[in-house]
Amino acid sequence: MTIAIVKYGMGNVASVQKALKKLGYTSIITNNHNEIKQADLILLPGVGSFKKGMENLNESGLVDLLTQEVIVNKKPFLGICLGMQLIALKGTEPEVVNGLGWIDGEVVKIESPKGLRIPHLGWNTVISSTNDEFYSEFNGQDYYFIHSYHFKVANKNEVVLTVPYDGDLVAAVQKNNIHAMQFHPEKSQAFGMQLLKKIIEQYA
Amino acid sequence: MLKIRVIPILTFNGFGLVKTKSFAPNPRMVGNAVQAAKVYNSRNVDELVFLDIYASDKKRKMNLQLARLIINECFMPVALGGGIKTIKDIKDLLAIGADKVVLKNKIIEDPEFINIASDIYGNQCITLAIDAIKKEDGKYYLYNRLGKEILLLEFLKKIKSHNFGEIILTSVNNDGMMNGFDIELVSKVEKIINVPIVVSGGAGEPEHFKELFSKTNIEAVAAASIFHFTRYTPRDLKLAIKSVGKPVRIVEEAFIPHN
Repeated sequence: MTIAIVKYGMGNVASVQKALKKLGYTSIITNNHNEIKQADLILLPGVGSFKKGMENLNESGLVDLLTQEVIVNKKPFLGICLGMQLIALKGTEPEVVNGLGWIDGEVVKIESPKGLRIPHLGWNTVISSTNDEFYSEFNGQDYYFIHSYHFKVANKNEVVLTVPYDGDLVAAVQKNNIHAMQFHPEKSQAFGMQLLKKIIEQYA
Repeated sequence: MLKIRVIPILTFNGFGLVKTKSFAPNPRMVGNAVQAAKVYNSRNVDELVFLDIYASDKKRKMNLQLARLIINECFMPVALGGGIKTIKDIKDLLAIGADKVVLKNKIIEDPEFINIASDIYGNQCITLAIDAIKKEDGKYYLYNRLGKEILLLEFLKKIKSHNFGEIILTSVNNDGMMNGFDIELVSKVEKIINVPIVVSGGAGEPEHFKELFSKTNIEAVAAASIFHFTRYTPRDLKLAIKSVGKPVRIVEEAFIPHN
């Protein structure tokens, strides 16, 4: 199988490709529409602001293409960090912007009434939030988070992992062929690699 | 629960890894950056910081080829710093896989740059290097080699409203001395700064970590000399931090690809 890592000028593409290579998967970093159409799985990585991320996707004409492939054609999709946030209905970083809109909810700044330091930065434990069998084996593992905004998901059934940080933040969502996570599996050593492998393997 | 991070810092002089004492210009060579990254990766450290400490003095950019080799060894987050002056510099470092960039001189010369960078890349990847030097008058100053005298706490109060995600707070006096952290400095700074603080400068033995984490409320610590010159590993220090009741991540499992 070939994995298309979407190139849209928003960071960390190299690390994602390195992790996939270590797992033995072939991937290409691309913004070429044909290559994305031909890929077996689309991976949207990303570091940066919501607004800039959407601007860049729009500039490359990728918004409609990704929606066509993922929502209409049901192609497996994996979003990481900003790549998870962008699938929301809308974002607020630094102002209100429409997202890809595949999962209902909005991306807002993390608030900590207890005065915890923001960004939420470092290794934190994920909790599987449903009886979802697929993600339950990662319950209690530590993953690397680095974010100031979080995804408030409207439909709780689509949240598969949460992370405690002055309340529960969404750590991962899943809806049909869409898998997306706030943390960085590609930077989370053994358990990150195991999670990536498990998600991709089911489509290989 | 969010874990305390223990972060090895690699300082680079353009040729190899070096370790300074109180930032003096005659650092000791301590090895090869890529080798060191490989060892730290095998030890499953929480994060790695790589700084070209003379890049700005020498008016050079980060050696991207070397930085790429370092990052290739790392399956944990890496922060890169040294000579960052432009948005393109940040873009280049993020593109090769850096998770954070560390800014120093640029924030003194042009604090507004912090906001410009974070509007594009998000504040989470913008780390400030705050090097504090305590002078004979007993006050802390922001150490720099730009010939500027800047009172540390005033600078921090001014800059705290800017949009950055983390600071690495280094005691210049304690750097490389291995006699313990400057707790007074950390206590002053943690009252002002609301983003995560990585404390650095002075680690020599596990007791120093116990002191730091029992007397302050920070979430991360960085060290170099203790790893270069003693038998202690990051794991030993985490066990020390755990013993004073703070959460740490002790990794027993390594990933071996099946394919």
